Amino acid sequence: MAREIVVSFQGTESSFAFKSMDRSALYGRRRRVALDADGTPCARASLLDDGSLLLRSGMTGQGYFLPDGQFLKQSDLEAFDAAGTPLDKVPSTIGVAQELHGPVSPTEVLDMRLESIYALESDGMDPALKNELDSGSIFRFDFNFREDYRAETAFLVANDNGAFALVGVPVTHEWSSFDLAVELPADETDSDDDDLDFDF
Amino acid sequence: MTAMRRLHISNAGARNAVIAASSVQPPAPPRMGKSGQTATFRRYVAAGEGTLDADLTARLGDDYAQALIDDDPEIAFDVVGRFIDTTQTVLVTEAGEPLFAAPQIVEISYGPDGTELERKEPSETPATVTDALPARWTGRTMPTGEVVRKFAFKRTLQLQHVDGVTFDFLYAMAKELSEGGVMVLLGAGDKGKDPLILQLNGSPYRGFLEGRVDGERYILLLHLSNMELKRPTAKAADGEPS
Repeated sequence: MAREIVVSFQGTESSFAFKSMDRSALYGRRRRVALDADGTPCARASLLDDGSLLLRSGMTGQGYFLPDGQFLKQSDLEAFDAAGTPLDKVPSTIGVAQELHGPVSPTEVLDMRLESIYALESDGMDPALKNELDSGSIFRFDFNFREDYRAETAFLVANDNGAFALVGVPVTHEWSSFDLAVELPADETDSDDDDLDFDF
Repeated sequence: MTAMRRLHISNAGARNAVIAASSVQPPAPPRMGKSGQTATFRRYVAAGEGTLDADLTARLGDDYAQALIDDDPEIAFDVVGRFIDTTQTVLVTEAGEPLFAAPQIVEISYGPDGTELERKEPSETPATVTDALPARWTGRTMPTGEVVRKFAFKRTLQLQHVDGVTFDFLYAMAKELSEGGVMVLLGAGDKGKDPLILQLNGSPYRGFLEGRVDGERYILLLHLSNMELKRPTAKAADGEPS
C-alpha cells in the first residue's frame, strides 16, 4: 500500500498521496561542470591537509564518535536535548492519522524553517476540510517522515494548484527595540546558499 | 542567528538606508551520544588508495572473494580509520588522476524533466542589491495568508536597525505592514521590477517584507522565495524529503 499522509479534521480522516517537490522540478536547474583537456567531466576529490592521500568517491565514511575515539553504531546512539535530558524516539507519522489544529495564523507558517514541500493528492478529501482549505484556511499538524528524535511541524495549505504540506522546524525571532541597535557589518558577508550548482 | 550582513533597502517614500540583516536559523538538532557522553559526527578514511572495488577487480579479477578471505587486500592499514579534518578540493580526471591544468568550465541548463537544454560558457550574474543599489519597496502588497499559500520560503532574513535613525526607518515599515496585515514585495533595479540577487552569482529571489510591532518593539522579516507552490510538470521522487 502506498504511503500516505493522513489527517483528521473534526473527527473525519482524509488521506493524501504525497510527492516531494523541489525547485528543479518546476523550473529546471543549472550547474557548472569542469571538463578536462579531452572534454570529459572531471570529478571532485579531497586531498588530506598533509597531502598524504587523495580521497576519491567511496574512500570515506562518517559516523558518531565518543571523545575516546569509540565509534558508535546507529543502534547504540542516544539523543539528548540542550539540557542533557535523554530523548525518546518519535515514531513516523506516515499512514497514522494526525489531528489538524487550526485554522492557524499565516504567520505560524512564516515562523518555520521550511525543509520539505509535498504536493498532495486525495481521492476523497473530507468535504468540510476541502471547504476550509478552499476558503484559505491553514492547518497545522505533527509530521515525522521517519522515526527519529525530532518531530517536525507541517502546515496544510491549498491554492488554485492543489493542496500542499509545508514541513519544517519552528523558529523564534527576537524583538528589536531602540536600545538594541546592532553593529553594521563592515563588508558584505557571503551567504552559504546558492542554487547555481557547482558540480566539480 | 548567523553572522550579520549589510542590506540596502528603501521604503515607500523611496528613502533608503543600509541596515543589518541576519539569517534566521532553526534550533539546534538533538545532541547524539551514549550514556550521557556527547558524540561528535566525523568523517574518516574508509578505504586507501587502490582498495576500492574497481581497483581490486583490476588487480584480482571479478571474483576476488577468496582473496578477501585469504588476505586483507581491501584494507589499507596505514590510513583506514584516520579522521578527516581539513582537506583541499582537487579535480580529477575520469581515470582518477589529478588535473594539473585549469579545466574548461561549462554551464549546463536542464529542464524540469531533467533533459539538457543548453551548454554555454558560464557568465557572471551581478548582485542586484548592493550598497549602491537598494532593494526597493514596490508598493505591491498582498495579504499574508495569500502569500504563504502561493510561495515557498526557504530563507528568511531578519532586518535590524544600526542606529536611532534606522530604528525609526524600520519600525515605521514594520508598523505599516503589521497594521495592514499584508506583506510587500521588494524588487531590485531602478523600478523595482528585478528579482533580488544578494551576491555575485547568487540565486534570484522574490522578497516579501513582513512586519510585526509590540509597543515600541518591532520584528521586520524579509522572506525570500525562489519557488511557487504549484505542481511540478515532471514526476518528482516519491516520498523522500528533498
